Amino acid sequence: MAVHGDFSESDVRRAAFTGKSLRKTYVTGETEVHALRGVDLEINAGEILVLLGPSGSGKSTLLNIIGGLDRPTSGELWYDGKELTALDEADLTRFRRANIGFIFQFYNLIPSLTAEENVRLVTDISDRPMNPAEALELVGLQDRRHHFPAQLSGGEQQRVAVARAIAKRPGVLLCDEPTGALDSTTGVRVLETLANANRELGTTLILITHNAGIAAMADRVFNFLDGQIASIEVNQNRVAASEMTW
Amino acid sequence: MRSLDIKLMRDLWRMRGQALAIGLVIGAAMATFVMAMGVHHSLTQTRDAYYDRYRYADIFVNMTRAPRSVVERIAAIGGVARAEGRIEQFATLELPGRISPIRAKINSIGDGGASSLNRLVLIRGRGPDIQAAGEVVIDKAFADANSLTVGDRIGAIIYGSRSNLEVVGIGLAPDYIWSIAPGELVPDASRYGIFWMGEKALEAASNRTGAINALSLTLEHGASEAEVIRSVDAVVGQFGGTGAVGREDHLSNAFLTSELDQLEAMTRVIPPIFLLVSTFLVYVVLGRTIRTEREEIGLMKAFGYTNWAVGWHYLKFAFAIALIGIVMGSLAGWWMGRSMTGQYAEYYRFPFLIFQISPAVFAGGSLLSLASAGIGALGGVRSAVRLTPATAMSPPPPPVYHAGLVERLGDRAGLTAVGNMIVRHIARWPGRSAITSSGVAMSLGLLFAVIQFIDGSRAMLDNYFFRAQRQDISVTFIEPRNEKVLYDLAALPGVIRVEPARAVAVRMRHGAVAERVAIEAANNDDLLTARVDSDGFEVDLPAAGLMLSRPLAAKLRVSAGDNVEVELLGGRQTQTVMTVASIIDELIGTRAYAQESALSRLTRDGAPVGSANLLIDPLQRDEIITRLGEMPIVLGLTERDAAMELFEQIIEENIMSMMGFYIAFASAIAVGVVYNSARILFSERAHELATLRVLGYQRREVAIVLLGELALLVAIAVPLGCIAGYWLAQLMISMFSSDLFRLPFAPDRSSYGFAILVILAAAAATAMIVARRVTRLDMVRVLKARD
Repeated sequence: MAVHGDFSESDVRRAAFTGKSLRKTYVTGETEVHALRGVDLEINAGEILVLLGPSGSGKSTLLNIIGGLDRPTSGELWYDGKELTALDEADLTRFRRANIGFIFQFYNLIPSLTAEENVRLVTDISDRPMNPAEALELVGLQDRRHHFPAQLSGGEQQRVAVARAIAKRPGVLLCDEPTGALDSTTGVRVLETLANANRELGTTLILITHNAGIAAMADRVFNFLDGQIASIEVNQNRVAASEMTW
Repeated sequence: MRSLDIKLMRDLWRMRGQALAIGLVIGAAMATFVMAMGVHHSLTQTRDAYYDRYRYADIFVNMTRAPRSVVERIAAIGGVARAEGRIEQFATLELPGRISPIRAKINSIGDGGASSLNRLVLIRGRGPDIQAAGEVVIDKAFADANSLTVGDRIGAIIYGSRSNLEVVGIGLAPDYIWSIAPGELVPDASRYGIFWMGEKALEAASNRTGAINALSLTLEHGASEAEVIRSVDAVVGQFGGTGAVGREDHLSNAFLTSELDQLEAMTRVIPPIFLLVSTFLVYVVLGRTIRTEREEIGLMKAFGYTNWAVGWHYLKFAFAIALIGIVMGSLAGWWMGRSMTGQYAEYYRFPFLIFQISPAVFAGGSLLSLASAGIGALGGVRSAVRLTPATAMSPPPPPVYHAGLVERLGDRAGLTAVGNMIVRHIARWPGRSAITSSGVAMSLGLLFAVIQFIDGSRAMLDNYFFRAQRQDISVTFIEPRNEKVLYDLAALPGVIRVEPARAVAVRMRHGAVAERVAIEAANNDDLLTARVDSDGFEVDLPAAGLMLSRPLAAKLRVSAGDNVEVELLGGRQTQTVMTVASIIDELIGTRAYAQESALSRLTRDGAPVGSANLLIDPLQRDEIITRLGEMPIVLGLTERDAAMELFEQIIEENIMSMMGFYIAFASAIAVGVVYNSARILFSERAHELATLRVLGYQRREVAIVLLGELALLVAIAVPLGCIAGYWLAQLMISMFSSDLFRLPFAPDRSSYGFAILVILAAAAATAMIVARRVTRLDMVRVLKARD
């Protein structure tokens, strides 16, 4: 069976997800919620993919399953030739550690650690990470590396989160509403940083958003409805993040 | 039920683990309180009822020999309600198969065991016939220890002649609740018995026809004990009276009282520690609950609940937790009290047992528990009352961390990011961290303070038996002898060295204070005995004058250089003035010493040998014991090794049986403190822990954040606990010290080690239970919520 050692760095750039009949059912009390109702998908290595759809349509559930935070109730998910759905908890953790960078709407920085230490949290446990200072430089925060989260603005905090996510040179960046809590100027700045990572590191970028405007920077857009991918749009004319407004 | 009460019930259920952990600590307070007060109360009641029903006398006096008519003269003294005389005669017993000497004190009694004071309680059989020469009632403890029963026969040497005693009854008496053979340090029911024999029969056996040598009396209501004692001494002086004593100084009662005092001391030391810890725990837990329920508080107030109603709601939460402890502690305390009272009743000789814990004890304990929980709740309740709805319903400001001392130290120490998280969180909540550490320290200190009592007892044993008493056998004579007896003893085969000893009963007076005490004669060139102070150093006798033990000096309010009046009791009523030359800190008794030469100037009796200390060849021990037993002048023999063994046994049985309780109680504090800290830590950091899991940290790596902080706080607690234990031990030693003995503070290093291990184990086990929650951490749910 696949073990963590198989997710070596050489594999990372060819990363691609394949999902077959992914279903996720939550049981809360006496009610069942069908968050995913049989999703088939292919995600290409190095593409920018945007997941669009109303609340409860299943996009966050899919993102969590792709990131190894959650497991489907049934179905298979493959990453670069290995079946993630067959991994145990410890191996899933190793998979995340080696391949996935997460960025959340509310940053999820550790308040007791400085910007640089928040990045170090990831570089401490990665195989061939960037220097934390270098990662902060990529998001333009080299001057604020000794500040604590409470001393940073929302946009700055999110850029620290981005630096933390890219510092391990992940194969995949998963972003759940990364600009949701930011004003548009700051949001664009964060998106630019993400696009840079995609361009320069070849990282696959998967973004959840309510903001249809952001879809303009994607290679492809999955439109979610009722736990299924209702349609897939392929974007022929990608717009640079810096040119977007909303 | 009102909706706030429903919320209260559900909150309690949700936080049942934490509530139970605090309840455990309050329960420990309640249990020790109920147990100690209950046992104290039950024993006091039992003792008082026993004294009352069986007419325990108020004043006791011994004499050399007095005509029976002296009883009437005593009864005529103003303030005396009733007086009674009797003969007390020591005897040596011969039980088959026993080499070590067995002694009995035979008391004369009226026909069929009747007496007006210190009445005999017959458990089996009947009282002795007043005339029948061989009939005796024997005390229950001696009967049990030697498997004797009614109808058995015992060979005895009474007043130099051999006789055959028949056990006609087994009984108890209120003046022998606790008894010890003269010259012994440890009571041993198998080697010392209390017997009762018909008055006429004992008169004949002890050559005291028409005479008595002991007298006891009861006082009329309101009579002055001191005045009556003075009058009694004036009357019995001419008959060799050794000084009358009240109940307070009567050995049996004095011992029981000192035990009861220790129980009372326990209620003043141990429950307050538990209550203090529980106050802190309620403070921390309720404070955290109120912080997390900020928005609900805002909502309640917005809906129109008054500040008072909200405050009362949270106060009830604290009271409910206290109630859990009160119920658990009451049950445990009742059960423990019952078993402990039973143990005491076995050790002390009571014919019946009143086990009764008054409702006032439960009420008092409950009030204390509620008060400590209430005080702990005040901080949290105050903040709940003060919150305005508008502030409450907006989220609290995030915790602010700045680059401070701790941060710079962390950088310098080269801590990992996780290490920094741990250290900074502790620094961010210094109050709570301090409570966790000091709580664990308290549990460690308490356990240590209890364990060191065993070390103290052993040290006292070592001090007495190895340093002060080096003889193999002490021989006590029926009457003081002249020096010739020493040569007789030295001539026994196997006796290596013989040294004389004696103790002379005197009354010492300094100003208005008088104390009855024995002056022990000694010589500085003695090899077999020495005066050893509490630090184990030998102290030389002064060339002239007296050396007093510190508690005696304190009672007489004298210091070195002062003079005391010394009145010889028994025989000649010589009075003289002696100088207190030095004071010695001893562990056992209230004693006085003088050089033999100084003492013989006082007694002028030419019979300076009251007892002798022997060093023997162990191979000839049996032969020597047999030969000594055959000597008619010998009253008793004490073997050092046997006494030491017995003492060890008492320590093992009595103290060790309590050890289980104390380990459980001290662990309860550690469990309560660590569990609550861990749960609060976990709930505060759930978000961060989930973030770490998302970032790719394994469960055990995440658990380190939680366990690391606890481990650090517990590590800080260890040295603090050792210091707390040191002070607590000093406090408990001073509260447990009595005239009879003072335990030294002499902890074995392993006692610190044992206490540390127990507390670390309790802390670790508790922390692991909470750490298991890390595995159930729902990353998705935690991250969806805003911190």
